[in-house]
Amino acid sequence: MIEVKGLKKSFGKQHILRGITTTIQKGEKVVVIGPSGSGKSTFLRCLNRLEKPTSGSIIFEGEDLTRASEKRLYEIREKMGMVFQHFHLFPHLSIMKNLTLAPVKLGLMSQEEANKSARAMLKKVGLSDKAEAFPNQLSGGQKQRIAIARALVMNPDVMLFDEPTSALDPEMVGEVLNLMKQLADEGMTMVVVTHEMGFAREVASRVIFIDEGVIAEENDPYNFFNNPQNPRLRQFLSKVL
Amino acid sequence: MSEFMDKLHSTFVEGDRWKYLTNGLKNTLIITFFAVILGMVLGFLIAIVRSSHDKTGKMKILNFFAKIYLTVIRGTPVMVQLLIIYYVIFASVRIDKMFVGILAFGLNSAAYVAEIVRSGIMSIDNGQFEAGASLGLNYRKTMFYIIMPQAFKNVLPALGNECIVLLKETSVAGYIALEDLTKGGDIIRSVTYEAFLPLIAVALIYLVIVMFMTYLVSRLERRLAKSDRG
Repeated sequence: MIEVKGLKKSFGKQHILRGITTTIQKGEKVVVIGPSGSGKSTFLRCLNRLEKPTSGSIIFEGEDLTRASEKRLYEIREKMGMVFQHFHLFPHLSIMKNLTLAPVKLGLMSQEEANKSARAMLKKVGLSDKAEAFPNQLSGGQKQRIAIARALVMNPDVMLFDEPTSALDPEMVGEVLNLMKQLADEGMTMVVVTHEMGFAREVASRVIFIDEGVIAEENDPYNFFNNPQNPRLRQFLSKVL
Repeated sequence: MSEFMDKLHSTFVEGDRWKYLTNGLKNTLIITFFAVILGMVLGFLIAIVRSSHDKTGKMKILNFFAKIYLTVIRGTPVMVQLLIIYYVIFASVRIDKMFVGILAFGLNSAAYVAEIVRSGIMSIDNGQFEAGASLGLNYRKTMFYIIMPQAFKNVLPALGNECIVLLKETSVAGYIALEDLTKGGDIIRSVTYEAFLPLIAVALIYLVIVMFMTYLVSRLERRLAKSDRG
């Protein structure tokens, strides 16, 4: 579904990604971990071209995103939901409007269709009673669940999560991870950058360790955590587990 | 006391001199109103050009001209601009002074509005642009539906203030012999040789309008703050 080949990204003289090659199959749940500054977030942001790669290619559903026109890029993004560390809900709009703005303004749904779909998503994330609230009235965990709902209303083929629980108070991490687990169980293709090792163990079909801009190791969660090969990964795991 | 009443009478009543003030007030309000509209429209456009250039690196040529415009307008006094527009640009054309006033003050205000709005746009977290983009909304749609409403709310007090400054700046319109409120008061003074009453009256009228505008802005602010509850 997503094929990444020789992906490189530098900011000026700083080489963040030094050549990443991997393939993400439909239905896979890929968890990306790594020390801070390793390039894991940049990798994720390259997948939907929020960052423009310096070189390499990203082929999504047969189309090379590094060569797509600007217009086409926005169309492709409709199919790639993204959830940010800091939620980025639209503070001036009600929750309902947060969910329906994009599908309506893009002409994908009428307002009524979007409302219906949004209500279904709110129910799914367990926040039906917040439809008319504004983002500032929600807790961090609720905001993130709304952000996930907002991405889901677009019917994406893949969901990208950029450290979705890192900005949350500890007691709210669970509700967001549970929702993500539920999504995974429903067969959603997911790429998740996170520090939640429990989530990686339990939900991932594959775990990728990015270190200094390259994939230092990737494996199924059992072997990844119980039998790490790369010395840097061993060191990293000994610190976080 | 009766001396004061006499002065009041000679300043405002005799020869219907109060009409200088009402007529001047009317002109001041007309100029301010249309100059605010011109300034806002042009200012928003310039702000969008400037901030789009800063965010995406596009619109290089437009941005270049916008920058020159801002430098020139903000670098010279509004009175000089007014005089240049009237005596240089429209020197050989018969033209309505009101139109010149609206044009001069509107063009001037646009520069300040542009910088206010630009600062409002730049103050919005880049994550809002990214959230818009990640949902497939292009730059224009993101700007229009997500960024501008928030930026507008943030800069509303500054924009209100700009309107108030503009109202007061129109008091130099008399330099092209335009009979605005200030000029009206000054005409009375030159006829009656009595400075206190007409000028204080003019000052009071400005003050009342400014207080009213301040009140309107704060009401609008409260309404827009609805989404900040909680």
